[in-house]
Parts: sequence; C-alpha cells; structure tokens
Amino acid sequence: MQLYLPIAEIPVNIFVIFGMGGAVGFLSGLFGIGGGFLLTPLLIFSGIPPAVSVATVTTQVVASSASAVVTYWRRKAIDLKLATILLVGGVFGSLIGVILFDVLQSVGQLDLVISLSYVTFLGAIGSLMLFESVRAIRRRKSGVAPKARRPGQHNWIHGLPLKVRFRRSKLYVSVIPVVGLGAIIGFLGTVLGIGGGFMMVPALIYLLRVPTSIVIGTSLFQILFTMAAATIFHAMGTKTVDIVLAMTLMIGGVIGAQFGARMGQNLRGDQLRLLLALLVMGVGLRFAVDLLLVPEDLYSIAIRKGAGA
Amino acid sequence: MIRSTGLWPLLAAVLFVAPAVGDQHNSDLVTSLSSDVISIQSNFTGTEIVIFGQAQNFERQPNDPSSLELAIVVEGPPQDITTRRKGRFLGVWVNREAERFQNVPSFYAVASTIDIGELANRDILDDLGIGLNHINLAVSGVSNVPLADRDDFREAFVRLREETGLYSEQETSIQFLTESMFRTNIPLPANIPVGEYRVKSFLFKGGEVVSHTEETMAVAKIGFEQITFRLAQHYPLVYGILAVSLAIFTGWLAGVIFRRD
Repeated sequence: MQLYLPIAEIPVNIFVIFGMGGAVGFLSGLFGIGGGFLLTPLLIFSGIPPAVSVATVTTQVVASSASAVVTYWRRKAIDLKLATILLVGGVFGSLIGVILFDVLQSVGQLDLVISLSYVTFLGAIGSLMLFESVRAIRRRKSGVAPKARRPGQHNWIHGLPLKVRFRRSKLYVSVIPVVGLGAIIGFLGTVLGIGGGFMMVPALIYLLRVPTSIVIGTSLFQILFTMAAATIFHAMGTKTVDIVLAMTLMIGGVIGAQFGARMGQNLRGDQLRLLLALLVMGVGLRFAVDLLLVPEDLYSIAIRKGAGA
Repeated sequence: MIRSTGLWPLLAAVLFVAPAVGDQHNSDLVTSLSSDVISIQSNFTGTEIVIFGQAQNFERQPNDPSSLELAIVVEGPPQDITTRRKGRFLGVWVNREAERFQNVPSFYAVASTIDIGELANRDILDDLGIGLNHINLAVSGVSNVPLADRDDFREAFVRLREETGLYSEQETSIQFLTESMFRTNIPLPANIPVGEYRVKSFLFKGGEVVSHTEETMAVAKIGFEQITFRLAQHYPLVYGILAVSLAIFTGWLAGVIFRRD
C-alpha cells in the first residue's frame, strides 16, 4: 500500500517502512540498543531524503527509549541527578548539531559528513566491541576468571574540579566530563540521527565508572529527553520531521522490540555483543564502500529555493 | 484524480464552450485542461493531466506535415537548484564543483506533434522555452565550475530531473482526434512539487508561432497532508511538540502493554 508522506513529499510503501521499523525494533530489543544507527542508513538507502531520515529517526528514538524507560523507572534503575546533568549537555550539543546540520546542508557537504561520521564512529566502536567480546568468549571457554576491578580505582577524569556527589550511582565526580559527554552524544545524535546509547553506555561505564545496574536506565532516560529536544529543534530548524513516517516506524519498532527482547534472554551476553559488534562494523563498512568506490552518478542536485525547498 | 470516463463530457465542453474562451486570445487555438486542480492526498501516487484543444480555421493536411504543428509545455513553479559534481579528495568521493540554476521550472513537460527541432528554428524555441534543450537555465554569477564544463552541468541537471520524472519531452505525443481537434496526456509523477502550474500551447505554421494559449493549473495538498504540512511550516514548535508527545505516548503505551516484569 502506497502512502504519501506529507513532509518528505514522496509516496512510500507503508508495509516496507513498517517492516523496517519492526526489523530494527527487533534488533534493538535483542541488543538493548536504540537502533537509530541502523534505521537512519536503512531509510537513506531506501530513498528517503537524508535530512528527513535523520530528523524523523530522532522522533522514533524518543518512542523506543520511552518504552524502555518505563521498565527501568519501575525498577528504579535510573540515576535522575546524573541523567539531568547529562541532559543539560545533551540539549546544548543537540542545538549546536541542528545549526551545523543546516550549514552543512547549504554547502552540500551534509551527506559526506554523515557518511564519514558513520565510518569513524561505527568502525571504532564496532572494533572495540568485537575485540572485547571475542576476549570474553575466549575467557569463558578457557575458564579463566576475569580480573575483578579494584574498587575506588581512579583515572584522570576523577581529578577534575567541580565535583558533585551522585548518590544513586555511588559516584563523586566533576560535572565537566558529565556535561561534555552529554553534549557530544547530543550533538552526534542530532547530526547522525542516532540515540547514541551504544556510545553513551561504554563511556559511562569505563570513563565515569557508573555501576552497570544503573547505566542503561540512566542512558535511556537522557537519550529520551535529548532526542525529544532534537526533534523539536529539527522541527523548527530544518523542518524535516515527517510525522507520518515517524508514526509508522514507531509502531513497527515497539512491536519488533518485544520479540527481540524475548529472544535476547536466550542468548549469552558475550555472544550478543559479538553479533552487535559485527552489525555495527557492517553498517560502518557499507558507508566506507560508498565513499571509496566511484559513484554511479558524479552529479547530484539539491533544491535551494522555491517549491519543495 | 482524473478518470478516463470523464473525458467525453470534457470533450463536449471543449466543443461548445471553447469558441467563447478562444475569443479572448484569438480565434485560432483553443485549449482546455481535464482538471485545473490536482489534489495530493495520502493515497497520491501520481496522476496525469489531459489537455484538449481545437485549432480552428486550419485544416490539418495529413500528407503535409509542415502545414500545422503544435507544442504544449507544462511548467511548474520556479525553484533555485544547485547541481554538484563529485570529485576525489584524499581518496574519498566528495562534492567539489557546484552550479546554481536560478528560477528554473520545478516541473517541465513538453509534448509536440513532430520532433521539436522541426517546429521552428533554434532562436524561436529558445525564446519560448520549448524543448528540454531550449529551457532557459540561468546560472548564478558565483560558481566554481570551469567554463568548459558548464554544458556538462546543464546536461547533468536535465538528465537528473528526467530520471525523477520531473522533466520530460514527449515528441509526437499529441494526437489529432479529427482534422482540427487534438489531445495529449501529460503524466504528473508522485513527487511533483505543489504550486501554480502553467500550461502553454503553441500553434506553429511554417516555422512561426501563429497562435498560443496559456492556462493555469494548481497542484495542492488537501486534507490531512495539507494540515500536516501547514502545521510543520507555520507552527513548527507546535508540530515538534506534537511529534514528541505522539512518540512518548506510543512508547509509553507499548511499555505498559508489553510489560515484562
């Protein structure tokens, strides 16, 4: 069934979009990720204009994280104080992101920056995850117990000023890295159309030493509000949020996520991480190939002013 | 939407009403559109417009193709469009040169009775903008395109627009129903921009325009599509908050329905 999208101004097959939302939702439920980094490229490759894809996925991420936040809220696994400070940085980063998005679009380098960023971030994080999960699987097979981290272990981040106590996370750290982290993720999320959970979670664990029981709920909570802000900024700035596209993706996504989550309970954590690492690297590689191979068409056009701009 | 069953009343309308309309220009050529409003709704997947007309006082001679020829141009609202060309930079393909075409039609379709080159000489065609090779593609002063490559950009621009179905040239697609009555179908793809369209018909005789008509047609979103688009354009804050509320509600509802713990 074809449905005309009011903002993208093209008709799409509603079942294909619904299926995409469902498939990405399944993976996000399976791996406990937002799935934005999969959904945005999928939409772009299927012919939705990049600007509409990025802006609309920020809205979809709001829905998928809201769904998960409900669960973590009930379990009281959210550090509200930490999330709020991350959020301050996130909203700021998001605002910068929308401004840059506009500038890049007008100079014709938005697609390049999106592709390069995907290659860099997905490549780097995918490789790290792959390395880590292979090591974990090997360790499990050989039966060697992992080295326990010593409590109170510190790194340079813990030496920064403006320290604040986060009771829920049992942390006493400076707000500078917290706001900075929030800003970077908010910025990338807005420009790339991703929630950034797959960057936020490792950063909170390894850099700030937030306990693993709290990290996912806190990360999701901050993503929910950062992406809500990003949606509003996109709606006001780039005017490319397509509500019909977003709704279709959301409904597919939340349903798919339920099946994914059920399946995820039957898989081991390190196996899941290995699969996720391969997936992340695969998406990064796809962008790298596009950048390196001779394009099918060297020319492209962009409407700057007038009807449909 | 245009239904094929609607054509006969239309034909009748042209036959009876047309002479009166034609008097406003001159009595040689009269034309009528199958619809002056194209509505875009959620089920819009493209449509077509039928242009009917009558060339009075001229008897078309089937054996003498130079006696009387027609060209019909449908033009969408103007746009400024940047055409970019990729080049290698540090091993990566990036957009390098750019050319900005100003006030070019967002939609352009031309139909004719014979090859466009045979209608009239180049100057006349350029002047009237009849044919894809004769559209006026004005460029902005600022451009980093070498002069020798300008034609490549022009060609690429027209080719890309043809690929999306927004530009088209259908030579010999105007059919004569009788010796003086003609019709043609112009397809309007799903991605047509909204706005005011102009339908210009030209009657040629011996390489000169002897008569022409111009009509307007509106392409507009209606209903839900229109409300959504207007909201997004004029009340972006409300639209953004609405999008976020819908997303939070959907997510919350799913979290409650599929409660796992």
